[in-house]
Amino acid sequence: MAPRSCALCLKAKSMLKRPKTGQQICRDCFFYVFETEVHNTIIHSKLFNPGDRVAIGASGGKDSTVLAYVMKTLNERYQYGLELFLLSIDEGITGYRDDSLETVKRNQEQYDMPLKILSYGELYGWTMDAIVSQVGRKNNCTFCGVFRRQALDRGAAMLNVDHIVTGHNADDIAETVLMNIMRGDIARLGRCTSICTQGEDTIRRSKPFKYAYEKEIVMYAYFKKLDYFSTECIYSPDAYRGHARAFLKDLEAARPSAIIDIIHSGEAFEIKEEIKATQKVQQTCQRCGYMSSNPLCKACTLLEGLERGMANSGITDRGRRKLDAEGPTPDNLRTIPFFRRPSGGYPAIAVELPS
Amino acid sequence: MSSCENPNVDKDALMPRRQKFDGKTKICVRCKENTGNVVIRYSVYCKTCFFPLVQTRFRKSLEPSINATPDGPRKKALKAVGSLVIGLSGGTCSTAMLDLVAKSYFAPKNEPTGKLKGGKDHPRNSDKGVWKGKAGISYVEVCGAFPGEKDRTEDIRAVVESYSNSNFEFLPLRLEDSFDSNWWKSVGGDLSTSAQSLARLDLHLVNSSSESSPLQALRTYLSSLPTQTAFYSAVQMLVRLLLLHTSASRDASHLLLGTSLTSLSVNLISGIAQGSGYQVTEEGKEEWNPRPEHGMPLRIVRPLRDVGMKECTIWDWWCKLKIVGEPRSLYSGGKNAIGALTRDFIFGLESDYPATVSTVARTCAKLTPKEGSDEICALCERPAQHGVQAWKSRISIRSYQEVSSAVSGNTRPPHLTEEEITNLTKSSLDITPTSDHPFSLTPLLCYACHTLLTSRSSRGLAASLPQGQSTGDVPLPLWVRSSADMAISAHSHESVPLAVKMSRREMEKEISEFLLSDE
Repeated sequence: MAPRSCALCLKAKSMLKRPKTGQQICRDCFFYVFETEVHNTIIHSKLFNPGDRVAIGASGGKDSTVLAYVMKTLNERYQYGLELFLLSIDEGITGYRDDSLETVKRNQEQYDMPLKILSYGELYGWTMDAIVSQVGRKNNCTFCGVFRRQALDRGAAMLNVDHIVTGHNADDIAETVLMNIMRGDIARLGRCTSICTQGEDTIRRSKPFKYAYEKEIVMYAYFKKLDYFSTECIYSPDAYRGHARAFLKDLEAARPSAIIDIIHSGEAFEIKEEIKATQKVQQTCQRCGYMSSNPLCKACTLLEGLERGMANSGITDRGRRKLDAEGPTPDNLRTIPFFRRPSGGYPAIAVELPS
Repeated sequence: MSSCENPNVDKDALMPRRQKFDGKTKICVRCKENTGNVVIRYSVYCKTCFFPLVQTRFRKSLEPSINATPDGPRKKALKAVGSLVIGLSGGTCSTAMLDLVAKSYFAPKNEPTGKLKGGKDHPRNSDKGVWKGKAGISYVEVCGAFPGEKDRTEDIRAVVESYSNSNFEFLPLRLEDSFDSNWWKSVGGDLSTSAQSLARLDLHLVNSSSESSPLQALRTYLSSLPTQTAFYSAVQMLVRLLLLHTSASRDASHLLLGTSLTSLSVNLISGIAQGSGYQVTEEGKEEWNPRPEHGMPLRIVRPLRDVGMKECTIWDWWCKLKIVGEPRSLYSGGKNAIGALTRDFIFGLESDYPATVSTVARTCAKLTPKEGSDEICALCERPAQHGVQAWKSRISIRSYQEVSSAVSGNTRPPHLTEEEITNLTKSSLDITPTSDHPFSLTPLLCYACHTLLTSRSSRGLAASLPQGQSTGDVPLPLWVRSSADMAISAHSHESVPLAVKMSRREMEKEISEFLLSDE
């Protein structure tokens, strides 16, 4: 059978079948439409202003590696006028993050972007290895997720940036929509399809790859010869997400548009006003100043449990009651440094510049 | 990005399974006397307490919507403004629902002596029903979509007749009625010439070039759909619309569907996965407005929405009801269809994590569409969102014409010259429908229906579809033709030209004065 010509330029030989549209297209057209769709997302959502300082959450995995490349390309092509940084979080998992952090350091050189690596050990006094040795493998994802979110905000504050972009892709968002429906997490369901989130005391955070299929990100990295590490955590998974993920893969196999269709659904509905009224009002953590829906933020609650040798206190109500029964928080407890939003000007810390 | 989760893990790390019941006692939690016979969502019930439990949930879901003012005071009387239609598939849940309706609202009110107190014309006994007139029990036979399947109309008729209730009227329908002008006429539909002959060619409305029987039209329509998902969803949609139009033609104020809690969760997740998030509220509670001259607003109520499929099965079993409708292709086929995948997923959840199924329904009941819309989809007749096509073309570029504003200067595709991109944009524009070209069906559709007609499978074919593949125009269900005709009329006061394939002779006639004779 003669090779088919590209469905877009009608000129070159088609090299791939786009997972998102099913069209057979050439490599150059794939690069162009992939990048243009990300550009459309950025422009339509008015994500940036000229002169913004933007940190790219970089893990060394496929999403963030491609994100750094695409952000640099679009910033130059469309003259966004952004100052780009790389921000990495080192969870302290031996054998998991080491190699991927090397990829991030290479990206720093290739893309000529300043890099900041912030470790759990530096920020919380606990590495994930140490946490797992105390809590076991069952609930450690709770610690890691809560600590990572705060760590990114704190790293961004140190870099004095206006905005963090992360590599969450369309598959992640569709999966989160399903997961939040299944576990009845109405608050998260209401905001999980927003491209940009910003609390009163947090830095703007957005997902330019919101409509990019995971398979297309891998395809982009493959054809652009970008190297990355497959960063599957060696510790236990979020089982609920595992259920949702397996189901989503089946849906995608049945009809590839299912991923984007779920996101469209998620964007089309919102929480009823009477339900919103019953939700907790956001406040500031009394201990560390980070946003929280309780007097103490989740990270401080989890850290207190770890410090006092009762890690379950941040996970279950029973654990919390047990901790309360042990008496008040000791004065000499290690806590997270107080959070302050960037106030403009120069970075609060020195960053590693590309050599 | 969610890179830290590894699904290949030891089982201990997965969601802990809660025991079906604590095992401490087998005494019924309701009467606290009898030994339990059944476990429902972690609680033990005896047979005596099971029936009022299900009946209470059924009435609690139905009765607040019976009176004209929903959720209003109804202590004195339940009085609907119109008649009742019950959708019966003959499956587990709709069979249980029919039984519950019959026992709760249509039970003969005879005295123990067997005689009516005061005679049949006594005011006490006249027009005492909740709904006006006879209750229609409507069954849609779908075997037309599945060649070789048995026609079960007579089996269902026997089920209805087994109630020996003079207030029940059996209303048999067939899936192909959607394409049958006699049925459309019987429900008061528009039969103007243009509406009758409309069909679609891709997504453009054209005058149909072929005369075919309703059954052939149904099969051509279904075989034109690009995926198994679309095929099964289209069948369900036709069933729903047949029931709605039939109910409206009987001045019904209520249409009852036997959707259980389990099926509701399946429908919600399946709908969301097919892009109908904007219509998520309709899946649970819906009020459908037929065209003004065709009747009153119709409430579609699912009175078993708080009762699981397991409870329905137990009800059928203990009441010795005959299930004649399942299993069949509509429910068990299409392994690769989103509906079937979702059903398998939710059924699996129901057996291992029963709470998750009700969580899905409860969560979705807290949602509402983001913005109001006065538009109704021509295919599914549910609310349609604005700006759907702009959204689609922004997030997935399918031609350079769609990004024409970005294809000049240094932002054009770097591997194409300015001339090449100009030609590509131009050639795309040339095939875009204009007022001189066929009227597009696209703006008349909601997101989910547009996706149903256009989204393809990566496997490239809709396997195991019925015979009758057509390469030409595809007939449309009659209500779509009617809506499209109205939209066309609204779009232009003059007649909008529809695409008609030109014959060689017609072409020749138009240009004859420019043709030179061969001699």
